[in-house]
Amino acid sequence: MERLPRGRHGLPREYVDQNQRERLLAALAACLHDHGYDGTTVTMVGKRAGVSKSDFYRQFESKDRCFLAAYDEGVASLRARVATACRDAGGWAPGVVDGLRALLAALTAEPAQAEMVLVEGLRAGKGVYDRYQAALLGFVPLLREGAPAPAGGKRPPEATDEAVVGGIASLLSRRVLAGETERLGEFLPEIAEFALTPYLGAVEARRVISQR
Amino acid sequence: MDAVAELTAEHGYEATKIADIVREAGVARKTLYDNFSGKEEVFLAAFDSAFDEAMRRIEVSCAGLGAEAWEDRVRAGLAAFLGYVAEEPVLARMCMIEALSATPAATRRYEEAMQRFVELTGENAPHFDELPKTIEETLVGGVAWIVYQQIRRREAERAADLLPELTDFMLAPFKGAEAAGRAGA
Repeated sequence: MERLPRGRHGLPREYVDQNQRERLLAALAACLHDHGYDGTTVTMVGKRAGVSKSDFYRQFESKDRCFLAAYDEGVASLRARVATACRDAGGWAPGVVDGLRALLAALTAEPAQAEMVLVEGLRAGKGVYDRYQAALLGFVPLLREGAPAPAGGKRPPEATDEAVVGGIASLLSRRVLAGETERLGEFLPEIAEFALTPYLGAVEARRVISQR
Repeated sequence: MDAVAELTAEHGYEATKIADIVREAGVARKTLYDNFSGKEEVFLAAFDSAFDEAMRRIEVSCAGLGAEAWEDRVRAGLAAFLGYVAEEPVLARMCMIEALSATPAATRRYEEAMQRFVELTGENAPHFDELPKTIEETLVGGVAWIVYQQIRRREAERAADLLPELTDFMLAPFKGAEAAGRAGA
């Protein structure tokens, strides 16, 4: 992310604000990774972003508010990438596979952000639990919409899809905690199979995955 | 240990002070420090005690069920776990919610507990080559997420209501693999 030129640059206010905001959000995620939530201060975030403390407070009321904004943007960005991949796949099952692939690629590309979204989400008392829960629940429709009923049976209940999404999130957060963020892409076949099997059965699930 | 569970479940680990713990427990500060080096150690001891009891109940529930009766074993183990959550909502909250934000050592305890549940599932559920290697992790993670939400909603006392859907969730991949095997797929 480009820093602004030093001195008077004559760039429009909105551009400056947006640029600073983005740098602050990225800096926050990086500081969380390096120092943890309690160890991160406004001064650190500002320094990392190359933004003055007064400019920080123009953008955000507090560290907590900056964190919540970073969290919301992190989730929104992931969701958008997954939704786009699902939509462009041209079919439900390929969409699930492509969506999961896009998710893993996004997490691997931005490890500090991955850690923030997955690991901080369950920590009590920071106002993120509702966001984490909403994020996970938000993935359930991507799984259910357009899904077929398994041959000779009924579609799995929504509770199953919630548990599937929760199980995948749990696996990913535990691997991120274990320092394996760069390897998340390796889990695609297994988690895609886990997601598709309740609908397609394992054999068909594996066939679809092998073709993507 | 009961006091630390009650207080951290109610107010969070951060806000709970040694003074609160000794007052709630009705013991002298000296007594606490004779037995523990500080707040964290009390918390970790309470966590370990609760986890050990959960494992004990699960193992007792499966005792006497043969290896072939894997559906019954999984169902019994889940029932024992959910029954414990329902019976001890304060401990459930401490272990499944507070431990994740107390201290790094507490987070490690949680992670180790999850790993042991994963291994226990692997021991009690049948093995099928075709299932993903991570199936136990995703199943335990899924159960943990559903139970976590229930505790968060302050409905831990009704955790046993989750038994039918969570049993179906845990058994489905194994039943599917078994059926596929019988069909010669």
